Amino acid sequence: MSSYYQQELHRLRAIVFPHAHRRQQVLQARQFIEAHYAEPIGLPDVAAAAGCSRFHFLRLFRQYYGRTPHQYLTTVRLREARRLLLAGASATEACFAVGFDSVSSFTALFRQQMGCPPRTFAVRAGQKSNFGEAPRPEAADSCAQNASL
Amino acid sequence: MNIKVTSVMVTDQARALQFYTEVLGFVKKTDIPLGEHSWLTVVAPDERDGVELLLEPLGFAPARTYQQALFEAGIPLATFNVADVQREYERLLALGVRFSMPPTPMGAVTLAVLDDTCGNYIQLVQV
Repeated sequence: MSSYYQQELHRLRAIVFPHAHRRQQVLQARQFIEAHYAEPIGLPDVAAAAGCSRFHFLRLFRQYYGRTPHQYLTTVRLREARRLLLAGASATEACFAVGFDSVSSFTALFRQQMGCPPRTFAVRAGQKSNFGEAPRPEAADSCAQNASL
Repeated sequence: MNIKVTSVMVTDQARALQFYTEVLGFVKKTDIPLGEHSWLTVVAPDERDGVELLLEPLGFAPARTYQQALFEAGIPLATFNVADVQREYERLLALGVRFSMPPTPMGAVTLAVLDDTCGNYIQLVQV
C-alpha cells in the first residue's frame, strides 16, 4: 500500500508533468548542455537537441527546471570553472575553458554567484579542509557557502 | 549568513551514527559529549567541509509526535542528493535498507525514499 506521500507525489505528477515524453526531451537538452557547455551554444542548439521549437522548449525547460536554459548553462559553466580553479587554473584559463568569452564578465558573474572573485575562491578553498586532504570542487569555503548554485 | 548545519531527529544517536556512516556512507565530523547526548554530526565524504548533518537526539516529547506523524504519512524528513539514484537504490537494497518508494521520476528528477531505521524517511534525489 502506498503512503500518503507517494499518493500525493503521483497526484501532482499527473497534474504538473502529464506527458512522459517531454521529460525525455528536457533530459536530452540537459545532457546536451552538460556535453557542450564549453562551446558557443545557444537556445537554437539546445532546442534542437530536445527536438522541439525554441519557444516551446523555453517554456518546457522552465517548467521542469524552474529556470531558463541559459541560466542552467551559466550554472554548469560556473561549476566547471570552480573545478578548474581548484585544480590550479588561473581565472583567465578557467574563463575560456568553460565557454565564457570575456574575463571581466566571467569575474563579475563569479563574484555575484560565489561572493568573491575567482582567485580568492581558489585560495580560500585551499586553506579550508580540516581533514588534511586536497580541496575538492564542492569544498564549502566562505565563498561557496554564499553561492546559490 | 549561510547554512552550515541541518539536522535529522534520531531515536538513538549510536545506532544513527552506525546507519548514516556504515550504510549510507557519510563520515563522522564532530562528536562533542553534552551530558546524556552528543553534538554529533556527519558530512558527505566528498564534501567534508560542506553542510553538516546533525544527528539530533529526540529529547523533546512533542518532537517525537511530529516525527511519528511524518513517518506514518511516509513524508521524508530530509533529502540527500545522489549522482545515480538507481545505482544507490540497488546498493542500499543489498545492504538490507528498506525503501518505501523505489526510484520514481518526478519532473526532471528521480526520487526514492528509504527508512533510516531511526524514525525517519529520507529521500534520495537525482537531479
